[in-house]
Amino acid sequence: MTLVPTDLHVHDEAVAEFNSATADRTWYHFVLLGAAVLFGIISVGFVGTIFWSSLPTWLHHGVTLLTGKGWSSPNGPFGGLAMIVGTLETSLIALALAVLVGLGTSIAIVFLVPRRLRNIIATLVELLAAVPSVVYGLWGLAVLSPWMAVTVNPWLNSWPFAKVLFGNPGQEFGTSLLLASIVLGIMILPTFVAISREVIAVVPQDLIEASLSLGATRWQVIREVVLPTAKIGLFGATFLALARATGETVAVALVAGGVADAQFHLLYPGTSIAAWIALTFGESQGNEIAALMALGVLLMLLNFGFSMISRALVNRQRKILAIV
Amino acid sequence: MADIQSKTATTESISRGPIAMQLRDVAVSFHGRTAVRDCTFDIAKNQVTSLIGPSGSGKTTLLRALNRLHDLTPGAKVTGQILLDGVDIYRGNVTVTELRTRVGMVFQRPNPFPTMSIYDNAVSGLRFNGIKKKSLLDEAAESSLRSAALWDSVSSRLKVSASNLSGGEQQRLCIARALALDPEVLLMDEPTSALDPVATLRIEELMTSLKSRVTVVIVTHNMQQAARISDDCAFLLMGEDRAGELIEFDTTEKIFNNPVDSRTLDYTLGRFG
Repeated sequence: MTLVPTDLHVHDEAVAEFNSATADRTWYHFVLLGAAVLFGIISVGFVGTIFWSSLPTWLHHGVTLLTGKGWSSPNGPFGGLAMIVGTLETSLIALALAVLVGLGTSIAIVFLVPRRLRNIIATLVELLAAVPSVVYGLWGLAVLSPWMAVTVNPWLNSWPFAKVLFGNPGQEFGTSLLLASIVLGIMILPTFVAISREVIAVVPQDLIEASLSLGATRWQVIREVVLPTAKIGLFGATFLALARATGETVAVALVAGGVADAQFHLLYPGTSIAAWIALTFGESQGNEIAALMALGVLLMLLNFGFSMISRALVNRQRKILAIV
Repeated sequence: MADIQSKTATTESISRGPIAMQLRDVAVSFHGRTAVRDCTFDIAKNQVTSLIGPSGSGKTTLLRALNRLHDLTPGAKVTGQILLDGVDIYRGNVTVTELRTRVGMVFQRPNPFPTMSIYDNAVSGLRFNGIKKKSLLDEAAESSLRSAALWDSVSSRLKVSASNLSGGEQQRLCIARALALDPEVLLMDEPTSALDPVATLRIEELMTSLKSRVTVVIVTHNMQQAARISDDCAFLLMGEDRAGELIEFDTTEKIFNNPVDSRTLDYTLGRFG
């Protein structure tokens, strides 16, 4: 209470106001604390119930879920291999496409596009990243899928070793693991570009000027100074894009074909963990629900992992730049 | 030429010894707005020339024109003539990458490449210019690090990341990096402003010792520094239209003791700035 100055010039009103301010703060304090505690309870409850509901599967069919083939409702077996393989296949191919095209795009936006256009393009990219994935899925199904069936698939099948990569011709439709990968790739491309552009753009100008002052060409500056300096952050962007790809549900559900069969023939239909949960859950019961919950846990852990790695990498990049 | 001379208080006594670079009525503008103008003076070979003046007087802008760093800035335009060995660096028969190997630069903030080792930093300029032979690189790394008075403290840890060095060491590494290309001129943009007094002193000693092999042009805010280390001195000041201009160029001794322009005297005495 002695916090309030007690000299003669302080009016009683001011003291009262100060006290009501502290009273206010106490009230506010409890509201904030309450919100935080509520959030904590919700989070723990959410994660806890998912784990709890999936427990029967982990206890009795844990190995089958991770490595088994075949899924039959309602009593099993519940083999998750096809979904796990499908998730990884589609995500990694999508990632390869997105990183290849995205890195080039980011470098071009930062170094080649005139300054005035740069912000416009960056905004457009971010808008694309915000398009709901069902739109990408619908587009894949309505526009890409017929084109794949009529034009792309026959062409791919004319490649040498096509059978190994794509499976026997004639067994495929428009929807396939490959189409899912392509749609996913296009979908995560803006995410990757948005982040990698930023990572590249924050490479300090004085490093660029230093290399130019040593007689480096623009290409050398990009290849030998900018990209190495941004490398860790670019990996961070990659893992974030990967997390987005593995978790993507609707788009994959629409274009992958929805067949749970673990195989590597990219033109055959397949599925992913997320898509399988979405497509199967409606008619599931009993043990199958627990199995789908277990798939959900798996997906959650996978995404946690990628996000954590991404976060750690971006933090490390920040530290590197802070030293400069 | 006569009226260029009369605009500035350049005196004939300054022309002594060989000249490394000549500036003739140099002006730099950004999007049509003049940042610095009326710069006409000679940079004497194997001497230290300092550019002094308050903030906004265009010192750094002028310095960056000397190795064409403004080329990157959209809307930047350099007019007048800047001659290196008698060749116009903007219009003459010299490529910008070649120019920059001959006119090196050290920046305000130590900026070694954070992803490279000490060794790789030291030879980065040579690698940019296509030199791959290990014996050549080794030799250049050692001699440039020695010239920058850094060899003794880093020779045992050349493969360590450059970001492990102290600020002063990092700046000396940046000097070594520039020296490895054996430039004719070394531009230094307030090279000690981010350093402590001891590190500053070491860089100043270094500059003096480098004079025999390279011409140094230094921008500095620190008038004592200019007085201590430079042979010639250019004083710039922001004009009424907010464009910097050369007020006076002369030997450092004259600029500090007996300047022609009263504004130079006011500045060196610390009356403004």
